[in-house]
Amino acid sequence: MREETIYEHLQREGVSRREFIKYCGMVAGAMGLWATPVLSESARLFGNPDLIGEVIRALETKPRLPIIWLEFQDCAGCTEALTRSQSPTFVDLVLNKISIDYHETLFAAAGFQAEEARQRAMQAYAGRYVLVVEGSIPTGARGVYCTVGGRSAVNILKEAAAGATAIIATGNCAAFGGIPKAKPDPTEAKGVWEIVTDKPVVNIPGCPAIPEVTAGTIARFLVFGTLPELDDLNRPKTFYGTTIHDQCLRRHFYDAGKFAGTFDDEGARNGWCLYKLGCKGPTTYNACPAIKWDGGLSFPIQSGHPCLGCSQPDFWDGGGFYQAQSVPLDRPTLEAVGIAAGVGALVGAGVAVANRSQKKRANEPEAETTGRD
Amino acid sequence: MDWNSFLRFVRGPLFEVSLLVFVAGLAYRLLRVVTLGWARNRAPAAGSRVVGVGRSYAKGVIAWPFIPWVKDTFRGNAVTYLAGGLFHLGLFVVILLGTAHMLAWKSLLGFGWPTLSPSIVDFLAAGAIVAMIALLINRFSHPVVRKLTGPAELLNWLVVFLAMVTGYMMTHHLFFRYEVLFGLHMVAVDVLLIWIPFSAIPHFVFYFFSRTIHGVEHGRRAVTP
Repeated sequence: MREETIYEHLQREGVSRREFIKYCGMVAGAMGLWATPVLSESARLFGNPDLIGEVIRALETKPRLPIIWLEFQDCAGCTEALTRSQSPTFVDLVLNKISIDYHETLFAAAGFQAEEARQRAMQAYAGRYVLVVEGSIPTGARGVYCTVGGRSAVNILKEAAAGATAIIATGNCAAFGGIPKAKPDPTEAKGVWEIVTDKPVVNIPGCPAIPEVTAGTIARFLVFGTLPELDDLNRPKTFYGTTIHDQCLRRHFYDAGKFAGTFDDEGARNGWCLYKLGCKGPTTYNACPAIKWDGGLSFPIQSGHPCLGCSQPDFWDGGGFYQAQSVPLDRPTLEAVGIAAGVGALVGAGVAVANRSQKKRANEPEAETTGRD
Repeated sequence: MDWNSFLRFVRGPLFEVSLLVFVAGLAYRLLRVVTLGWARNRAPAAGSRVVGVGRSYAKGVIAWPFIPWVKDTFRGNAVTYLAGGLFHLGLFVVILLGTAHMLAWKSLLGFGWPTLSPSIVDFLAAGAIVAMIALLINRFSHPVVRKLTGPAELLNWLVVFLAMVTGYMMTHHLFFRYEVLFGLHMVAVDVLLIWIPFSAIPHFVFYFFSRTIHGVEHGRRAVTP
């Protein structure tokens, strides 16, 4: 029997053709198609590329993409962020209407029923489903720090990854270990790509990950059947190609040397640059300033708080959140400086004494030297 | 190791070790200079030592360096005087009056100070870099300076130049990603910190030693050099 296409599935959900076309426009926009080098280049060469048409054709002809969403060591903040997206939105379309089959946090089942549902979904869509992982995976004490239904997170992940066609790690925890990996890292938390090494893992880091970025990456796979171009940390270049600093609405204040010194001084009230207050924007790659949060309302820097660098590895241990980036991460203690100075001075004094005694010996009377001989 | 881990290493443990080597090395050099001693002068003092030191500083630090025609250096080799002056001015402003650097000092010393606008700091940094290139060319083109140039002098130049250039590139986001340039800048700074005690660069301390000693001698003898 022919499998139901995404469009047919949406029709059954009560989505009209007009709404469907609007959705396709949203998908094309959110996927950052115009920012995809090959497509934008073809657009330049051939005039008007029908990018929305591409999306429409794909959704009309392709079967829906099943998603299995696992949660490990995390706060479920990434899921919370998804559910806070306003409806009907692109996120809602991709994740709720056409994709998610199994989501531990969101669905009603619990206990053994939930485990059975996961197994059923994995068997039914073996080799076809997209695995989305939220949360880090503990490897210490043979993975005992995070177990579901008596099985460790490592085991569940490996089993689910084996049948997945693509794997997406959403949030900093799943991508790089996140907060559970912060020193002293008692659970020896790892990101998905450190556990699953035989398949490409797309990292969508953030704390939480931007819902539109997660959904956009899924949508891209849904439409084109391929993963987006990734950077050296396996993040989609479309969304993680530019630093927060380079997109920042306060950037001109940085260039002009106007900085907020505290959270309530004149600079802060005037919306000046937050570099002095510890902004990690210069070394952080993400799409926050472009996509923003709450339907494009704002993002941390716009709201007056420095960027924490939450889409970078080990952001929790990358210096204090309110410590400027030019400040060294490790500084010697006063005792260490004292000891270093003491050692230097001692060696200097020793060499000086040795030199003087050598000089003294060299200046001793000739007769005395002869006498000793 | 990716660039982020590299950056954490050079901003963290390597910087800490470099700073300790810098402190130990400078303490060693200071002790060596202090314990050199000098010949005892038994002649009665003809003038005030304090006045001599004051005059020495007024001329050597505050006035003379900025009046070209009284300097032998200017008459002998104008490039050394002009480019050297521009380089030292730029370096001083960048290290002490640049916002990012002041914050680093503040974290080490516990107190901060007002800084200059980045555009001014930037202009002087660029000037210092151009001056360094001029000084390098001068090193090879001027017959006397060429004779005074050895591997140590070139290494001094290279270590300082790399720190300056990577810092400038980082500020302007030139050619490489920010974290790459930040990492390279910190490596250059760490190497510089380690190299300083073994080089002629500690003249930023010893210059004041020599001005003081000369001032004392001149004051005692009541002479105005």
